[in-house]
Amino acid sequence: MPSPTTPAVEINHVSYTYPASGVGTSPMPAIDDVHFTIDQHTKLGILGPNGGGKSTLIKLILGIIKPALGTVRIFGQTPVQARQSGLIGYLPQRIEAECDWPISVEQVVGLGRASHTKPWKRLTSGDHDAINRAIKLVEIQDFANRPIGALSGGELQRVMIARAIAGNPKLLVLDEPTVGVDITGQQRFGQLIDTLYKELDLTVIVVSHDMRAIAAVADRVACLSRTLHFHAAPDGLTPAVLAQVFAHDVAGVFGDIHIDAHLAEGCDDPDHAHQHQHDCGCNDHQAKEGGS
Amino acid sequence: MNELLPPILAALVISIMGGALSIFVVLKRLAFIGQGISHAAFGGVGIALVLGVHGATTMGAIGQLGIVTVFSILAALWIAALTRTHKGRADTAIGVVLSASMALGFVLFTFAESGHSHDEHGHAPAAHQDEHHLIEEILFGNILNTDWSKASIAIGVAIALLGIVWFIRRRLIFWAFDEPVVDAFGLNSKRITNLFLAILAIAIIMAMQIAGVVLAAAMLVLPGAAALNLSAKLKPVFIYSILIAVGGAALGMFIGFEGSFPIGPTIVLTQSAMYLATLVTKFALGRQ
Repeated sequence: MPSPTTPAVEINHVSYTYPASGVGTSPMPAIDDVHFTIDQHTKLGILGPNGGGKSTLIKLILGIIKPALGTVRIFGQTPVQARQSGLIGYLPQRIEAECDWPISVEQVVGLGRASHTKPWKRLTSGDHDAINRAIKLVEIQDFANRPIGALSGGELQRVMIARAIAGNPKLLVLDEPTVGVDITGQQRFGQLIDTLYKELDLTVIVVSHDMRAIAAVADRVACLSRTLHFHAAPDGLTPAVLAQVFAHDVAGVFGDIHIDAHLAEGCDDPDHAHQHQHDCGCNDHQAKEGGS
Repeated sequence: MNELLPPILAALVISIMGGALSIFVVLKRLAFIGQGISHAAFGGVGIALVLGVHGATTMGAIGQLGIVTVFSILAALWIAALTRTHKGRADTAIGVVLSASMALGFVLFTFAESGHSHDEHGHAPAAHQDEHHLIEEILFGNILNTDWSKASIAIGVAIALLGIVWFIRRRLIFWAFDEPVVDAFGLNSKRITNLFLAILAIAIIMAMQIAGVVLAAAMLVLPGAAALNLSAKLKPVFIYSILIAVGGAALGMFIGFEGSFPIGPTIVLTQSAMYLATLVTKFALGRQ
């Protein structure tokens, strides 16, 4: 276990450039000299426009890509070591579960134990305890035995949160968690994450282009638009900073969670909203099967 | 009757393997990749023939099997690599590999045949077989060619593949369910993809002994597709799939032998009929 003073995340002057994606295109730096640390047991929001490098930063933290320049350390380890030892829990933006998947909620949560179990071994009682605890914490015990295709989008997201925490991670990464969700839904999501944050002594990173999503979860915020513009408590975030980050005129005041139409217009990507509204169109049928 | 025992046993064991693997093939949407792999094997047969390796002797059969297997695994991995560069779209990759391999197979086949017919000293048995008959066998399978040595290889390989899949079942399920996130959970998605495609390629080569290049992939799709119509739970789906695979193979062989139909295609037709039956069952139950 890392010592309590080790930062949860250290991003040291990290740059990353994607290779040119085809004929006639040139390489685009996605992230340029980003430098910050996240202390343990904090909830950091990373706010930025689409194309501002948020996904790249997540991939760097998860160790899926390596920085071209600079280093990333998670609890003092390389990201690959950290995820292989189960220190990182991840909630993806796109939650993909097809209706006809023959797998129960409990089995999906159990997948989150992957880094702790040898593939050929049966799940131990320790695994089952962790799975049951995750299920109870996100309150999905009522439908733990249902097939995954029988769930609504919101229920499915809670299952994926349970999967993310089933491996007892110390860092929870939330990728655009509440796109297309109304304010009440976002606040409920924030409360759930806060419970997990306290119960499991987590460090939480929430990445979004939506200020409300950040405000619902985080107690500190960083603004990312290729470089890091700002890193402070959310009530210190001024319209001027936001305007710089989003390259857009904004009048929203973050402390009041008052959302300006301009900002929403400038950052909302309609595609994302559609992706997130998970509805596989066969819930009725699946619910019936699940109930039988 | 004794000469029928090896092909029957081989067909049943290969079916069990097809039943287990087909769940992953259907859930991961690899049915067309399977088609690509099996057609690529035709190119492998062509290469083996040009190299003078053919299935008339036991050693020749093993050599041919080796060449075809290597060729098919390479094709599978190439499809996987092309799919990655096309951002998950496999259709172009399969279109390229399938047609190129079929074309290569036919060209080499004709080349090998013409080479043999001009060779006055050569007494290679395959060269004297009816060329069209041989091609037909490769395309649609001839299970009656299976002697004990071929059957032992098929059975051994099928059991080994079943063992590997059982060994890594949880990782395969995670990968098939949600490949984009498995790396974030400390696994290696690329490695799992390549391993499963290699397993699939070998399984298809085994199934080709029964159903040939054109129909082999069907044995790695139909049972799983049928089973998924019957249940939404993991264990029952695997059990149904294996039962449907074995049942379809047994019934198909019985009908084929009784009616003197080609065995491979009859097995595939029987499994197709079972798939249709499960589809009807699903809708009948769904509308209750």
